[in-house]
Amino acid sequence: MDDDTIVCRCEEVTVGEIRKAIRQGALDVTGVKRRTRAGMGLCQGRTCEKIVTQILVQELRKPIDKLEPATARPPVQPVTFGLLAEKSYD
Amino acid sequence: MTSAVDVIVIGGGIIGSAITYYLSQERVKVSLVERGDVASGTSSACDGNILAIDKMPGYDSQLTLKSQKLLDELVESVDYDLEYAQRGSVLVVEDEKQEPVARDWFTRQKEAGLPMRYLAGREVFEDEPLLARDVIGLVECASDASLNPMALVYGLVEASRSTGAMIRPFTEVTRILQDSTGAVCGVETTRGVMNANQVVLAAGVWTPALAVAVGVTVPIKPRKGHILVAEQSPRPARRKVQEFGYLLTKFGGAEGRRVEAEMDRHGIAMVFEPTEHGNFLIGSSREFVGFDRRCNHHVLELMARRALRFFPTIRDIHIIRSYAGLRPHTPDHLPIVSPVPAVPGLYIAAGHEGDGIGLAPITGKLVSEMIVGEPTSIATEPLKLDRFDK
Repeated sequence: MDDDTIVCRCEEVTVGEIRKAIRQGALDVTGVKRRTRAGMGLCQGRTCEKIVTQILVQELRKPIDKLEPATARPPVQPVTFGLLAEKSYD
Repeated sequence: MTSAVDVIVIGGGIIGSAITYYLSQERVKVSLVERGDVASGTSSACDGNILAIDKMPGYDSQLTLKSQKLLDELVESVDYDLEYAQRGSVLVVEDEKQEPVARDWFTRQKEAGLPMRYLAGREVFEDEPLLARDVIGLVECASDASLNPMALVYGLVEASRSTGAMIRPFTEVTRILQDSTGAVCGVETTRGVMNANQVVLAAGVWTPALAVAVGVTVPIKPRKGHILVAEQSPRPARRKVQEFGYLLTKFGGAEGRRVEAEMDRHGIAMVFEPTEHGNFLIGSSREFVGFDRRCNHHVLELMARRALRFFPTIRDIHIIRSYAGLRPHTPDHLPIVSPVPAVPGLYIAAGHEGDGIGLAPITGKLVSEMIVGEPTSIATEPLKLDRFDK
């Protein structure tokens, strides 16, 4: 993959930026996310998480099952302030 | 693995990385040891405030001002985009009952030297037009700022590495080691023993567990706080906005607010922070519920409801993520930045609760000054560990 290729479309993070984060010490998807914002956008990594994982596997030469899975954060789907707030009136 | 350095810093969060940075600037041989990735505990689950407005006028706010000045230098000298923005911050006054308390807060902060303004009536909506129409005042501090806390950790760590500091992530300290006289001689880690005659314990809420094994009681408790992240969207305000009641949930006396008991039970107070990427963060909650970092859905609902009370126009904006962090709480709201008299060579720098990002520069500087033996930038008596014995 070329360094200029965009991996996270929401936050416009490139392969090169992800490789740089790995050189700075990121060892998993969460470490890449905190350093580059890949996976922090509207889709929360649904598009890019597997590609980030693939880059980690290549750069770290580590089997995929030795990588920490990404931290799951609620909500599962984006929810508006209005909907979340009103639910607590139940 | 046996290695000798002058100082071992335990904890790769904002406090430990600031201490490592200032020590390495003094050419002290220092090693930073962190059990996970750097910036993976409380420093990855907070917001990025450098606020003087919510500090007690006096020592507390002076400490913050010193730290803000150091941060200005860091923004220039650290080769990393910290997403730093100095937009000021405001406290929202909800009703007539809060007004005299808010005006008194404004006067005391102004007398303490902060760049303060009080806005009332129409001025409020000329300044922040999207606030709920029934709020009656704003207290502003123009010097308050924000940044990306994780970027600050990465920037400090990279800068420290370039001046010779050893960074050891994914290495957990299991024990602090003492020689036959009781003085510190190193640490035992999951990757072997490391030797040093000085050890700084900067492990936030995880500090007491390591300290108690060397007979030292540290009165820090985890106080959980949640944050909601909104999608990139038009912002409801141009800078940091907190309800004045936030001060009441922070320092006590929240019963003065007109909110239902559930809000007070979870310490809910509205905090709004715009980020450099066009998202905004909504806080906050404060509660003592142990070490569980999972989000409580009920608390998130209450926070969304409280945010709508002040910003009715955000109803259709999406929340894309939420997280919770454990703030290290001390009984008097001041951190512990102190040598431990009973264990020569041991220092503690922890207990900053929600002020860790803002106070990290001065904390790092003070610990460095203590270890190098220079006069400290500000009196450290109020930060001493033994104040809790009295």
